[in-house]
This record gives sequence, structure tokens and C-alpha cells, in this order.
Amino acid sequence: MIYLDNAATSFPKPEPVYEALDRFARTSLANPGRAGHRMAIAAEEQLDAGRNTLNRFFRGEAPERWIFTLNGTDGLNIAIKGIVRPGDHVVTTDLEHNSVSRPLVALEKAGVISLTRLASEDGYLLPDAVRAAITPATTLVAMTHASNVLGTVQPIEPIATIVREAGAFFLVDAAQTAGVVPIDLRSLPVDLLAFPGHKALYGPTGIGALYAGPRTDGRLRPWREGGTGGDSSSPTQPQALPHALEGGTPNVLGVAGLTAGIAWVESRGPDELRCHEVDLLRRVVAWADDSNGWRIAGRWDPETHVGALSLIVPDPLTPQDLGAILDTSFDIAIRPGLHCAPYIHRRLGTYPDGTIRLSPGPFNTPDDIDAFLRALSEITVAMS
Amino acid sequence: MSVESQSLDRYSRQIRFPQLGEEGQRALLRSRVALCGCGALGTVLANHLARAGVGSIRVIDRDFIETHNLQRQILFDEQDVAENLPKAEAAARKMRAINSSITVEPVVTDLDHTNILDLVSDADLILDGTDNFETRYLINDAAVKLGKPWIYGGVIGSEGQTMTILPGETPCLRCLIETAPPPGMTPTCETAGVLGPAVAVIASFEAIEAIKLLSGHREALNKDLIMVDLWDWTFRQLKIANLLGKVDCPCCGRKNFEWLDGSMGSHTTTLCGRNAVQVAARRPEPLDFADMARRLTPLGEVRHNAFMLRFAAEGHEFTVFPDGRAIIKGTNDISKARSLYAQYVGS
Repeated sequence: MIYLDNAATSFPKPEPVYEALDRFARTSLANPGRAGHRMAIAAEEQLDAGRNTLNRFFRGEAPERWIFTLNGTDGLNIAIKGIVRPGDHVVTTDLEHNSVSRPLVALEKAGVISLTRLASEDGYLLPDAVRAAITPATTLVAMTHASNVLGTVQPIEPIATIVREAGAFFLVDAAQTAGVVPIDLRSLPVDLLAFPGHKALYGPTGIGALYAGPRTDGRLRPWREGGTGGDSSSPTQPQALPHALEGGTPNVLGVAGLTAGIAWVESRGPDELRCHEVDLLRRVVAWADDSNGWRIAGRWDPETHVGALSLIVPDPLTPQDLGAILDTSFDIAIRPGLHCAPYIHRRLGTYPDGTIRLSPGPFNTPDDIDAFLRALSEITVAMS
Repeated sequence: MSVESQSLDRYSRQIRFPQLGEEGQRALLRSRVALCGCGALGTVLANHLARAGVGSIRVIDRDFIETHNLQRQILFDEQDVAENLPKAEAAARKMRAINSSITVEPVVTDLDHTNILDLVSDADLILDGTDNFETRYLINDAAVKLGKPWIYGGVIGSEGQTMTILPGETPCLRCLIETAPPPGMTPTCETAGVLGPAVAVIASFEAIEAIKLLSGHREALNKDLIMVDLWDWTFRQLKIANLLGKVDCPCCGRKNFEWLDGSMGSHTTTLCGRNAVQVAARRPEPLDFADMARRLTPLGEVRHNAFMLRFAAEGHEFTVFPDGRAIIKGTNDISKARSLYAQYVGS
């Protein structure tokens, strides 16, 4: 199988990740911090090592500001539901994944918040649009760092500055960028950063992280409460991070895999990994330009692009049929449909069929992409 | 009312049949049956069993009644279509009206490997009223695993077949046909048509076997594979008893319950975006699109190329791929999609 669905989850994982998972599961998979015996301490040390790694890699303020979550969605929900208060105004974009838009729309429908959804242009949000949308009631701007449909990287630096000047909190969904676009939290005024561990950080599924910056202290209320391994006599959830937001036994095995994944990314460098994927996509863009009827969704700018790209499927093909043909006849895995991001497809005019998205990873080669393009050419001819 | 104190007057004509008698009738009243599928075969079975006084009948079916069912599905009428009733529910109402002294339990669900054991474990007998091989293999696995008798029946056009399966005593369905035919390669009622009387004959064969078995007369059961064609007027009885233990049956021999453990059978996914469901049959044989297109021709235009075959039926667009998977557009109801797949692609 030629796997071109790394924006959904990366596959395969780098060898050191498999090794770390196997080693940890066999030797150290105890409940961290709860018992004090050697294995529990080893598990606790793995959590510490994971937080230290995250903090170093993203240049956060402190390791304890990193909350381990189930996935990107979990971190985004902790952030959104923990930060807003009744009457708040929230600004978001039409590029969002359902993991951002659904919690926000649910809060809006419940009458808790008012919501402004900004329209992107060719896959990019203009910073001025954010400036214009912010009102005195705005407490949160929540947006993706890169569109999971288009692969377009958003100008979050100027937007972060605008949000900070307005005094609102800035939440960034880094699902598509963590590991391929450098993020420096010391210089970037982002208050909340959430991502899954299983995409370009090469951990297993079931682990993610949320960074809670200093401005969120005292504001971010936990909506999951429970055992934290220490301070057990207190009748309520401890206030201190990370335990305030980490009730329940954490996925220590996932942290072990994620830590090994980040180490592998550091050894290669995010820029190199991104350039490899973008170089593979250049072949697709060139092919589409020469083709009869195939179009790239959104603006193609290799400098502000991650390794995901959507193709608009010409009639009479549909994305779903094409996905099935690529799988059954060519053994190629891509993702057809709306990619859990319906608003951008409405904006592009590709709703409800969607597009086909390909997202190569570090182990794909130009040959893989050429095989994919030959398949598209062959299918196009057969269908016309 | 207990079986012992119940008046048996309504069954008097049946009781006078000496082999059944009062004892046999009381045994029927104490019996529990799981009826899998309540379409053409199922309604005839339900009708016979309710009238004969089988005490407890669970009717399992996922579908809703449509006008084109009325030609052969004898318990249903136009009012049921107007009320958009599930088949299991409508059948239960009719059965209770026919015989208020029995217990009828309608279950509107898709019988699959996750629920079949719950739905058939308490039955004395499982009856086949289904329209597809996937479910029959599933029933076969469950019946063999539980050591419960089941009666297979199937009808297409004017032809039908039936056999009675007593696990451990007679060959099972997989002794006879080890592997289900690949999807798209067998005719279905929707592509080849079906005649009501042919269904009624096969279902009546199943029903009389059920009455014998439940009343304690195993010695009278059919041990052959019965095949009839009512148009050509041919009747065949294939001696199959010697298959037991002779063939290396994965099910009753090796106890390898591939359909019950979910490793065989189809997998459905509601597709992101479109109002569409993908039904994937987990079988590797590539389909013969040319042959399939010929069978589907009565439905209207069928287009195909190396990668896919496309046709429309009942307002749904079907796109079928070489590995047997199909995308069915115009629904996001997984049960509906599975029914459509069984009816038009076949499984």
C-alpha cells in the first residue's frame, strides 16, 4: 500500500518509536506517581521526560504547563470549555476542523457565547479580518495553524500580536503543524496550543498535548476531575498544573511513544521534514496544472504549506468513488470527503462531496507520488 | 395461561393428525423460535408458526415495508406501507391478531456478529427467512456453536432449496458450500425476480420441518437438500448425509466461526460528506463486471469499466468496485445500505 494519508495519522512511525513503545510496555508500564515503587517512579519519570521534551521542542515557559490529553480534540475541548464564560464573544475561522468548530457552535447554541466565523481567502486568513472582528467582549480567538484540508499555513504571528493587544486569549490548533512548522512559544504570544501526538510528531494514537500559557492561570477550569496521584486528601481537584487538568491515569505508554517521536523529529529538523513533503506535493501541483480538469484547492505557496493538498475532482468522478478506486485497483490510501471541516468546503464550493486529500509523510518517495499521479491519469481517461 | 391449562380447541384439526397429537401440540406451545428475516420466506413462516401455536416467536428484521414487497410477503398490506412500519413490528401485530395466546417479540435490527448470540441463544430452533448468504453463514456459525438446529431456505425466481441442519448430526451449510459466492456473482430477487408461490412452497417446507422438530419428531425430519423448480416442475432430493465428517468443514469440523467472530462478512462505513454508505465485503475475488452488468440489465442502464460498475435502483446510485465493496448514495442509514447491498449486489 502507498500510504498518503499522513494528515489523518502518520504511518509508518519511525523505528525508534516502535522500539520505545515496546521497551516501555515491557518494562515500565505502571501507574505513575501513585505508589512510589520503582516501576511507578519509572512511569512518572517518563511523564516528566515527555513534558520536558515538549517544553524544549516548543520553547514553552515550563514543563508543567504541558497537559497530556487523549488527542487534539481533547486538548481543544479542555481549552475552549475551560476558558469561556457566559457572555463571551469568540472569533474563529472557516478553516477549522470540527474539533474546534463543534465545541464552539455547541456553546453558541447553548447561549453561552456569541461566535464570529471569519472567511478565509484562497485558504488563508487575513490578519486584518481578525483585527476587525474583535470586540470588547471578545475573550478568545480560536483557529487552526494550518488547514487540514488545504495544507495552507496561517499567518499566526501577526494574528497572535493582534489578539494579545486586544487582551483576548489565543488558542491555536497545531494538529497539522506540530513537528513540521517550528513553533517558538517564547516569541509567539499564543496562550493555548493543542495538538495530537500521532500526526507529524509520530507518536501512537491516544496521546496529545495542550500547552496552557501563564495568562490562562486561574482561568482554565477543569471539566474532568479525578485522581492525580498526589494530594489525595483534598476533596477537590488540585489547582496546580499539570494535575489540575489531568484527572485520571494518563496514557504513559503514549507519552513514551510521543517522546521518542519528538526526538526523531528533532534529529531530522521540522524544516527538512516539511520541505520533503512539500517537494513531493510540487509534483502533484505540476501535474494538475498540465491536466485537463484537475484543480488544486486553495492557493499554492510552497513556503507556507504543509504536506497536505486537496484536489478538486472533475466530473463525472466523485471523491468517494475515486478514493475507493485508488484503494481497490491501485492500493493507494488517500482521504476523500470533507475531512471533518465542512465550512471550508462550503467556501470552496466543494460541499457536500468534498475533495480528495493526499498527505505524504517522511517515508514517501517521488515514486509513490508518480504512481498516484499515473493512477489519477488512468482513472480520468477510463471515466471520460 | 400455562401450556397445561390452555384450551387446545383452536388446534383441534392439527391435534387429530395422529403423529402430532395433544402431546405434540403442548410441545409446540412450550417452544421458542428465532425467525431471522421477515420478508417473503419469513412472513409465510410466521403465518404458519403463529397459527400452529408455536408458543414464543422472536421476529428479527431490519427493513421497512415497501409496496413491491406485497406481491409475496403475505402478512403485509397497503396500510402497513402507508404507516411505514418495520416488517418485524407489522408481522408481530398480524401474528397477535391471528393468535393472541402466543408470545411474539419483534426485534427491528440488523442481525450481525455482535448481536446474534443474544437473539438466538434462548431459542429451540432458528429459522432462515433471510435473503443473503452473509446472514445465513452467520446463522450457521451461531447454530453450530450453540448446538442448535436451524432450517435453511432460499428462493430465486421459481427455484428454491431448503435443508434442515442439526449440528453434530447432519452436515452444516458450510459442509455443503464452504465459501459464500462472491458478492455480485449470484442472482438476487431484485435482479432475477421471484414468484410468490415458489417462496410459499419453500417456506412451507421449512415450517413443517419446524413443527416436526419442535413437537419432538426428529425421526421424521428431512435429511436431504431439497431443490425445486416450480416453473420447470422439477423436484430433486440430494443425499447429503454422508458429507458429515467427510469434508474438512471449517465450521462444524474445525470450529472456526469466521462469520461469528467478524473476520468474514461485510463492513459498513458512513462516508464523510456525501449522503452515502460504503459497504465493504471482506472477500478478495475480483468481480466479473461484464457478467454482473448482464444480470443487472433489467434495472436499466449499467455502466462499467476496469475500476467500477455503476447502476441505479430505488432512487439510489450504486458504485461497485472490483473487490466487492460498494458505495450506495442517497442514504446514510447503514441498515438500509446493507439491505440494498444484499438485494442488488448480493452477498
